[in-house]
Amino acid sequence: MKDRAERNRELLHFIVLPTVLLTAAFLGGLRVDGQTRQFIFIAPPLVTLVLAILLGSLFIRAGAIDLRRWLAIEQPMLTNVSHLLTLMSLFFASAQAFNSVLPESGLLHWMFSFFFLWTLWTNQFSTFDPRRLLRSIIILFGTAFVLKHLLVSALYAPEGGWLRTIASAVLQGISIDVPRFAPITGYISFFALALYVGGLLLIAPVPVQPGATPAYKLALREDAISEVSDPPCPDIQL
Amino acid sequence: MQRRFIQIVGIIWTLVYASIIVWIYATEPRSFKEVATNSQVAAGVYEVNQEKFSNGLALFRRDQFRAARDEWSGADPAQRDPRTQFYIGYAWYREGWGRVYYDNALFKQGLEAVNRAINLAPNGTLVVDDPNLQMHSAAELKAELEQGTERSWKDLNPLKLFRQRK
Repeated sequence: MKDRAERNRELLHFIVLPTVLLTAAFLGGLRVDGQTRQFIFIAPPLVTLVLAILLGSLFIRAGAIDLRRWLAIEQPMLTNVSHLLTLMSLFFASAQAFNSVLPESGLLHWMFSFFFLWTLWTNQFSTFDPRRLLRSIIILFGTAFVLKHLLVSALYAPEGGWLRTIASAVLQGISIDVPRFAPITGYISFFALALYVGGLLLIAPVPVQPGATPAYKLALREDAISEVSDPPCPDIQL
Repeated sequence: MQRRFIQIVGIIWTLVYASIIVWIYATEPRSFKEVATNSQVAAGVYEVNQEKFSNGLALFRRDQFRAARDEWSGADPAQRDPRTQFYIGYAWYREGWGRVYYDNALFKQGLEAVNRAINLAPNGTLVVDDPNLQMHSAAELKAELEQGTERSWKDLNPLKLFRQRK
């Protein structure tokens, strides 16, 4: 029974987690053209890589990932290589999650990028605990998803609507370039974000060591959390 | 031992899966059909559809160049066969050829096709043994297409009206 739990935990950690993160990375850049229904693959723009670095730094500062225990000289090489690959998958999944909720071009792209950069930069100087950080990330991506895939796409939908009428009145004379994608693009983005958040939930701050007793594992987790769980701070807001 | 095995499987699987994703982003397939074609190319089992190629050849010989190109595009969707690309280039040449002037836009597309054929051919040399053609090598076709796109005083020579299409 104990062996089975151990094996499942290892399968989850070494195989399922990288797969989930890489799938999120794959879906994050996938769009479907509104007219031809052809696939469009958008590689992560440079700004999303910067955003992913800032988010990675937040993970480490909040203790969601204890880098010293993920990559350590005392660990076997295979473990370190495996952990490095998982961290790289996390980095690219983060970049593609941003790519998925950023408008592809034009003024909105730069506005969204600026708000993401501002939010992540100011949060570098706040204190977080892993649970609070995860909640904040869900809100951050959720808000951006709603803005891009529900509001902006509705504004520029060919069939129009009251939102479009208001926007064309308010933004008269301002050209906002929004590529037209098929509605399925929103579903793909939703699944990419769901997988990304699922991957974040699977990541343990401290990877489980072989043969560790439950008490030791708990102590490690609490040790990692207590290092950063200072007074609570406000959630990230767009 | 079991942990070690799972780690090795995890590392190999992660690397293979990441490579597949990078490959898909690099080749940018536009549909599931293109994904399948690109996979065949990558696996080395890609083959030209001979039936469509023959249909294209029959249309080409009846001077129906656009229809011929459509057939050849279907026969070689990945644009990996030098012979098919040569014929597509030849079809652009024949359609763009005119007794008074050459259609520059068609010749440029012909040049693109023949360049693809040369790049795909082993050692960059391609000879097509077809008695119905007057140019048998990709190099000849390329030179003809390049000359057609260049502008010079020779273009004003009235004797050019007697030139023959190759």
